[in-house]
Amino acid sequence: MTDQRRDEALTLALDRLTRISIDQAQSPYDRFDWPAELSEDEWWMSEDLLSVHATKLAEGLDEPQRKRLGKWESIHFYSLNVHGIRELLGAVVHRIHIAGFEASSEFFHRFIAEENEHMWFFAQFCQRYGSKIYPDRSMKLGSPSEDAEIDSFIIFARILIFEELVDHFNIRMGADPALPPIVRQLNRAHHEDEGRHIAGGREIVKHLYKRLAKRLDSAALQELDLYLRRYIVASVESLYNPTVYRDAGITDPYGFRAEVLADPARRAYHQKFLGRIVQFLSKNDIISNPKFLQ
Amino acid sequence: MNTQPPQQIDKVKRWFLDAKPDLVDLDLDLDLIENRILDSLAFVNFIIFLESLTGREFQPSEIPASKFRTLRSIRDGLLGGA
Repeated sequence: MTDQRRDEALTLALDRLTRISIDQAQSPYDRFDWPAELSEDEWWMSEDLLSVHATKLAEGLDEPQRKRLGKWESIHFYSLNVHGIRELLGAVVHRIHIAGFEASSEFFHRFIAEENEHMWFFAQFCQRYGSKIYPDRSMKLGSPSEDAEIDSFIIFARILIFEELVDHFNIRMGADPALPPIVRQLNRAHHEDEGRHIAGGREIVKHLYKRLAKRLDSAALQELDLYLRRYIVASVESLYNPTVYRDAGITDPYGFRAEVLADPARRAYHQKFLGRIVQFLSKNDIISNPKFLQ
Repeated sequence: MNTQPPQQIDKVKRWFLDAKPDLVDLDLDLDLIENRILDSLAFVNFIIFLESLTGREFQPSEIPASKFRTLRSIRDGLLGGA
């Protein structure tokens, strides 16, 4: 496996991001003022981020119902973060200080520390205000590849896609005056660190893909392209959870999910949530059809 | 959508055939995971489909992956017998 330090652009970017991370480090454990409770009369999530936003079914929900849905969708959003972070931490720990990731190790140390903090404050929010973390619905069935380099590329591309999706929500909620201060603070804090993780992740993904593009045939590259597009669709669909709909008091939560997901108005929002990462992957010739979410 | 187990397995089979239009039929013992008919990316939608079919909520962390391997194991292990 080629020494990662030969890629000067990657090394410079990761060194710079690591230095910024050290300079700006803050402990999350005493950083936030956690209120004893959050009122259900408030918005817990920006209204335009609700999974029903702009759909026909949303017209049938009054404001208290939409706020209740916002409460449970926010608990679900942070639960998805907890599960996503656990998965990515395992993958990064598995690759720290090994051949092929020489230039990434210092960055990974900071990344692991910060992601552990994010998982802590998201879990705190879920447990304090929702009294639960929604369970992880995913299951690892087989592996997309037996090739270690392909496996690493897929893992880092998945991490990047997940972070970009979450970051869209963090940016919006971190600046939404309709939300309680603790919600804005958590989302802002997460966005501050994620900006660096996304910048580093983009360099790592480009580096890994360049190596694969040199040795894989077009059929294998097409398979990666299809896998990532499917992963993006699966990620956005994970935002639509029937258990959340049930908690929000919606009868027939499964039928509700199917109808909301099929509403054509949602496509523009999926595009909005993931447009930035789709553009990145397309610009770097990693995926072939940037309009697949439309 | 709540139906009895014998009809439920037909619906499960139909779900897979709809998801993979190149397949004509599925044997009860075909390995769905090895043949990439069910993979990690399709799993969440499949679990949600199973829940809507049975009216029961499943916790994947408490179910061994082997129960998802064939139509037969899904029928016997998750739908409650033939």
